[in-house]
Amino acid sequence: MVFHAREDSPTYEDGILEMDEFFHDSIDKLLARTGVSPQDIHVLVVNVACITTIPSLASRIIKRYKMREDVKIYNLTGMGCSASLISINIVESIFKCQENVNALVVASESLSPNWYTGNDKSMILTNCLFRAGGVAILLTNKKSLKDRAMFKLKCLVRTHHGARDEAYTSCIQMEDEHGRVGINLSKNLPKAATRAFIENLRLISLKILPLREILRYALLSFVGKFVMINFKTGVDHFCLHTGGKAVIDSIGKSLGLSEYDLEPARMTLHRFGNTSASSIWYVLGYMEAKKRFKRGEKVFMISLGAGFKCNSCLWEVVRDLDGENGNCWNECDIDKYPPTSFSNPFMDKYGWLNHKDETTFDRNDFE
Amino acid sequence: MMPSQIIISNISSSARLKYVKPGYQFLANHFVAWISVPILVILFIQVLSRGNLEILALLNSSHYGHVQILFSSFLVISLSTLYNKSKRRTIYLVDFACYKAPAELRVTFDAFIEHSKIILKSEPKSLEFQLKVLERAGLGEDTCLPSALHLLPPDPTLEACREEAEMVIFSAMDSLFLKSGLSPKDIDILVVNCSFCLSIPSLSSMVINKYQMKDSVKSFNILGMGCSASLISVSLVRDLLQVHPSYNAVVVSAELMTTIFYQGKERSMLVPNCLFRMGGAAILLSTRRTFCNIRAKYRLLHLVRTHTADDDTSYNCVQLKEDLEGNLGAWLSKELMAVAGKGLKLNLTALGPLVLPPSEKILYFMNFIARKISSSRWRPYIPKFKQAFEHFCIHAGGRAVIDGVQDSLQLSVEQVEASRSTLHRFGNTSSSSLWYEMSYIEAKGRMKKGDRILQISFGSGYKCNSAVWECAETVKIPTGDPWRDCIHKYPACVPQLIKSADQ
Repeated sequence: MVFHAREDSPTYEDGILEMDEFFHDSIDKLLARTGVSPQDIHVLVVNVACITTIPSLASRIIKRYKMREDVKIYNLTGMGCSASLISINIVESIFKCQENVNALVVASESLSPNWYTGNDKSMILTNCLFRAGGVAILLTNKKSLKDRAMFKLKCLVRTHHGARDEAYTSCIQMEDEHGRVGINLSKNLPKAATRAFIENLRLISLKILPLREILRYALLSFVGKFVMINFKTGVDHFCLHTGGKAVIDSIGKSLGLSEYDLEPARMTLHRFGNTSASSIWYVLGYMEAKKRFKRGEKVFMISLGAGFKCNSCLWEVVRDLDGENGNCWNECDIDKYPPTSFSNPFMDKYGWLNHKDETTFDRNDFE
Repeated sequence: MMPSQIIISNISSSARLKYVKPGYQFLANHFVAWISVPILVILFIQVLSRGNLEILALLNSSHYGHVQILFSSFLVISLSTLYNKSKRRTIYLVDFACYKAPAELRVTFDAFIEHSKIILKSEPKSLEFQLKVLERAGLGEDTCLPSALHLLPPDPTLEACREEAEMVIFSAMDSLFLKSGLSPKDIDILVVNCSFCLSIPSLSSMVINKYQMKDSVKSFNILGMGCSASLISVSLVRDLLQVHPSYNAVVVSAELMTTIFYQGKERSMLVPNCLFRMGGAAILLSTRRTFCNIRAKYRLLHLVRTHTADDDTSYNCVQLKEDLEGNLGAWLSKELMAVAGKGLKLNLTALGPLVLPPSEKILYFMNFIARKISSSRWRPYIPKFKQAFEHFCIHAGGRAVIDGVQDSLQLSVEQVEASRSTLHRFGNTSSSSLWYEMSYIEAKGRMKKGDRILQISFGSGYKCNSAVWECAETVKIPTGDPWRDCIHKYPACVPQLIKSADQ
């Protein structure tokens, strides 16, 4: 749609087509790789933030894959970049009530109907950051599939700061002065994100860190010394939401992470952009392709979303992963990452615009 | 034989059948009681006939010492406790509240026709079609649409959509807080469902912001799941409450018309405009029978979800589409009723074994065997679901939907009264319609302790979901909305065809 210069007038079908392309690629590959039949899926949770279809996308998937008549489906929309962990939360609850269940979680973002075509700077930012992407995740509590599993969920914590007006309005869909709809990222966004992030860490650190680290932090804080929690005592790998360079830098600094720890998030942002709810799974895929995962290691995922939400979880690696099972990074030639140069090709080509007097520009009137 | 003798013979044979059937049903439904009561009575008489000394001698002569008896008792108690813990917790509906729109948002027939004449001026056939649908829809003059759609031309902006959402959802929630004594800060799970109102942040975030809910609230925003989304939300809450039994959960079901109202002229997409109206409900669910010193009203017995999306005809019968001018609207196919029937049959097949009395199960099973042996001689037996329930809440999707379900389940006029009255007074409010119907039954003073209520809803995809509730406490006639000022007018006599004064 963008390449055909129809950003100003996307159709409803453009959004559907975008989703179909993603489904056909990701879900087909996942089911083929795992050998699980669509008829063996008992729960389907779909979250796509910026599109509503009737019938729902979940029904669309059922139709395409001819799933069972009693499959439990949930179609979440509008829940932002942290929605994939919300979907995992639903599945986690169902797994505690029912045995021998397979669940499929599908997370994506629809850009076609949401490309901002105005000139408000706070809304143009989303055009620069968000890109097409998606993930399909197969989860199970069947003991027979235990040995084939990659990760085991240890805990999941959700935090919602929507009660604070500053946080609620930091990322909000609205119309600009010309009636064009876009998502406004306000100046309060970093502050809202930081607060939600700290609150979430405060809750999850008690569940994921070893007791000695918690006691060390508590004791030193008690005597009045400034001390940072060392998350690396309980976590081996970090999957950070690729909201943007500033988000990654900020989280990295807060957690005291090295460039090695931040590399997967930076490379995901570089190669795929901000793919919203699925971004943390691209980060996970990068680490898998780089053969970083060894049995018993802990993987920490954290994501931020509009509202303002911060959700995080901890996975345990079930077996050594060699990254050979059809990960999307293998198609990108993983050995090229990290690249030797990070220069922004757009700055090289168009950076001269910043030094010119804009009153001399010959502009077309797009109103 | 003389004709009168034939008549007498027929009457007497039907009279015999008339008394045999209830007797058979009573015997089959209370079979366990019929077997166990005589055995218990005999045992009791035997115990009474022996003296106290004889009983003590019997106990002392047993080979088990005190320690073994204590250990056995401990084992039995532990196993019972484990069993109770592993059982699924009962979900209680503490209370619910429905939204009632202010009178200035009423859409009378004349107002609707006037708007249609202006908007469809260039398409007289579409206008004529829309008027025909409106005349037969079964809606009254008090259904409501949001203010943005009262304008000419309608002005469905994002801001207007948010205003409608705030009005519907916040009103329903305020009523719920008042009725139940729940504080917003005590909500642990919030599920908001709506057919079509995309907003970022989500509607659930909007509610959290308005009511300053706690940071740990688990919120879910379900969109696009059609008119059965309320029961899908209840299903989600049911699973969440099994894991967190001390939590309070609120489900909000809303139908927001601002962005879904079709602005175009395509005939096949005009039908929903005649049926759908704004509405909403907020429902409080918990695993506790008593909440804030108030006893919960209902107990959830069963919830069955089925869909037929794997079949193309079912999937395509309700779709959101763009017309040639780019206007978005819901398209309903002519096969909709047939698809709904298929969905209903599938759902009731799953629900039947859970709710039907033993008498009906036995008859169904015998009919099933007979048809397997000789299918040409036997017609399929349709179990009498009306024996299993005292009240029915059928999604007020339209007159045809209610008629169809009434025929399928062989329901009486009284049993579908709540659905018809809701359709007339509020229109098709999508997933919240089931709650308007429950509210109607309460307002009529018909909800007694022990009554079982069947809720059936349909949704695009195609889904058919049903829930069975049991009334835990006789419900006093509520003094609040939405039926407060109009319950005396119902059941209303709704003609098959309503002509406006203009025609």
